[in-house]
Amino acid sequence: MSTPVNALASRIAEDFAAATAAGGRGLDTRRRALRELQAAGLPGTRDENWKYANLRGLERLRFVPAPAGATAIAEGALPAALPGFSRQVFVDGRYAPALSGAAPGGVFAPLAVTAAPPGSLTLGPDQRFALLNEAFATDGALVRVPARASARLELIFLATAEAASGSSYPRLSVEVADGAHLELIERHVSAASLGSFVNGSAQLHLARGAQVRHYRLQELSARSRAFDTLGAALDQDASYRLHAIGVGGAASRSTVAVRLQGERAAVTLAQVLLGARQQVQDCFALFDHAAPRTQSEQLFRGIAASRARVAFNGKVVVAPGAAGADSRQSLRGLLAGPEAEIDVRPQLEIYTDAVRCSHGATTGKLDEQMLFYLLSRGLSRDTAQRLLKWAFLEDAVSGIELPELRRQVELALAAALEDETLKELL
Amino acid sequence: MSTAKEILLQVQDLQVSVEGRKILNGLNLTVAAGEVHAIMGPNGSGKSTLANVLAGHPGYEVTAGSVTFRGENLLELAPEARARAGVFLGFQYPVEIPGVNNVYLLKAAVNAARKARGLEEVDAFDFLGMVREKMKIMRMDDSFLSRGVNEGFSGGEKKRNEILQMLVLEPALAILDETDSGLDIDALKIVAAGVNTLRSPERACVLVTHYQRLLDHVVPDVVHVLVRGRIARSGDKALALELERRGYDWVAGEAA
Ligand SMILES: Nc1ncnc2c1ncn2[C@@H]1O[C@H](COP(=O)(O)OP(=O)(O)OP(=O)(O)O)[C@@H](O)[C@H]1O
Ligand SMILES: [Mg+2]
Repeated sequence: MSTPVNALASRIAEDFAAATAAGGRGLDTRRRALRELQAAGLPGTRDENWKYANLRGLERLRFVPAPAGATAIAEGALPAALPGFSRQVFVDGRYAPALSGAAPGGVFAPLAVTAAPPGSLTLGPDQRFALLNEAFATDGALVRVPARASARLELIFLATAEAASGSSYPRLSVEVADGAHLELIERHVSAASLGSFVNGSAQLHLARGAQVRHYRLQELSARSRAFDTLGAALDQDASYRLHAIGVGGAASRSTVAVRLQGERAAVTLAQVLLGARQQVQDCFALFDHAAPRTQSEQLFRGIAASRARVAFNGKVVVAPGAAGADSRQSLRGLLAGPEAEIDVRPQLEIYTDAVRCSHGATTGKLDEQMLFYLLSRGLSRDTAQRLLKWAFLEDAVSGIELPELRRQVELALAAALEDETLKELL
Repeated sequence: MSTAKEILLQVQDLQVSVEGRKILNGLNLTVAAGEVHAIMGPNGSGKSTLANVLAGHPGYEVTAGSVTFRGENLLELAPEARARAGVFLGFQYPVEIPGVNNVYLLKAAVNAARKARGLEEVDAFDFLGMVREKMKIMRMDDSFLSRGVNEGFSGGEKKRNEILQMLVLEPALAILDETDSGLDIDALKIVAAGVNTLRSPERACVLVTHYQRLLDHVVPDVVHVLVRGRIARSGDKALALELERRGYDWVAGEAA
């Protein structure tokens, strides 16, 4: 019997050879990423923070980037534009200038044409899928916000390829200089009901006093499979708010690692994951308090319906030097189907005394008292359940400060919830 | 008889258990249109159980007896169908539902009842105007409109909100479970005014209360004393005054 690990390693090596046969830019960096990946291997379900992810059948994928040439993409495949945001579109990881708006001066550039593609940050063992991205990605978004400037950018990553023809590697590198502000929307969508393989990577650096609001929406088609790895490093007084919404895909795994490396740096993650049908939605978030008086907050709301599996693993590490750190976690999972599964796991590692931590994690079904209250007012069971699910998500959605985006997010969530109610009726 | 009033609610020999324990034990109650009934009785005697069973709470098992509403078997209706048919329960402990907007709930409730009667949905603008009017009766602040159902409401505000919902829904039969508990004197008058607003020859009201004070403002036609799961005594308003003076032991002793 062949061991799947070796099958996967040789598959990756083969595909890398094919993908780089014609040369290309940044080959050294890509080769290094491949070597690191081959040395470490991709995570397996026996790895500590990967037991809920769907890692099956990776060796059957085609890792070569999906062929370019998906020609005319209907603009209808793209979400409605958001006022005030410059929109930049990537198709299967490649920049698509024809679909993109004017780039804000000096802030955005496609990685494929920049002189020096940024090399890899130091990645932890849970960020190995980022190495896969680095080895295969040929393009991406480079975002640079100069000191004290502010920018609004919407990046759309559109998947148009079946996994059998190749993979999509969305890539994002963000550098926000001293005191600069960035509002960033990152959306992952599918052109049609395809089964794509998408493996994204985002790396952010927030310099002193930089402020970033980052909205991430994963709305891929129901047959897609997605991995993504986000790493952020925050200098002194930097503030990073990440709103992440995951509703799409057959199986998706998101890995978020934020390092609070400067004094008083602050991060907030508001994560929503909805799973219906047999979806697997998994997120691992690691916050590393490495400096004094740093702050972090994790807010998770997940709903698993039908036979879906939803998992959130939130780990907070407070290093010995991080006196005065403040960390809060509110993690809640809702079980909305008899065969659904939800796993919510808070992890805390504290190596210093003077810290404030408040951590709450719960999973359960819809509150029977609330449900009866609504029924007793004449609402149908269906409406009452939907309302309560909605209310459950409220905390994690209300922080979206852009009204139009919030509306779109609410529509996406409503569609996902509705879908699942229909399913339960069948 | 030409003066015969329509019987809205008829409860006969009702027996109810919770987790295998018998709580209601052969309860009889008949409420006609136009009447206000007060139900008093010691803690734990089964008043809320009765109210909840009438509203269709799933936690109670009816082991014997019957309940009809306008001549139809109420017990076989789902809770939402009872509400649409015109039965309203004002909860003793209204639950907080953060994230579900008050007005949204009111509108959904009204539309659900209208739909059941084959009517169109209410006009959003007219509806808001109507709600504002009723809020005035209940002396509720405008900010209430944008808040979650009972979210962060004080005890008294929650009770007022129950009455507001009743005013908006205009039920044929309102069962108010200790809506007067925890109210200050002014709030009590406001709540009483709310209840009186809806008083009419077509409607009826069952008030569960511990205090005869409410009955000064909403004068009942009949007062019942519920003891150990059955009506131990019924009378007119004077019974409430007597209970106030002599306590329940007197009735309980006689019933035993
Ligand atoms: N869900 C339940 N589980 C277990 N016991 C219950 C439940 N609901 C009611 N009971 C019991 O049934 C009895 C009657 O309760 P009920 O709430 O009807 O009393 P009540 O007359 O409304 O009292 P109070 O005046 O205190 O409101 C009590 O002994 C109570 O503990
Ligand atoms: Mg009670």
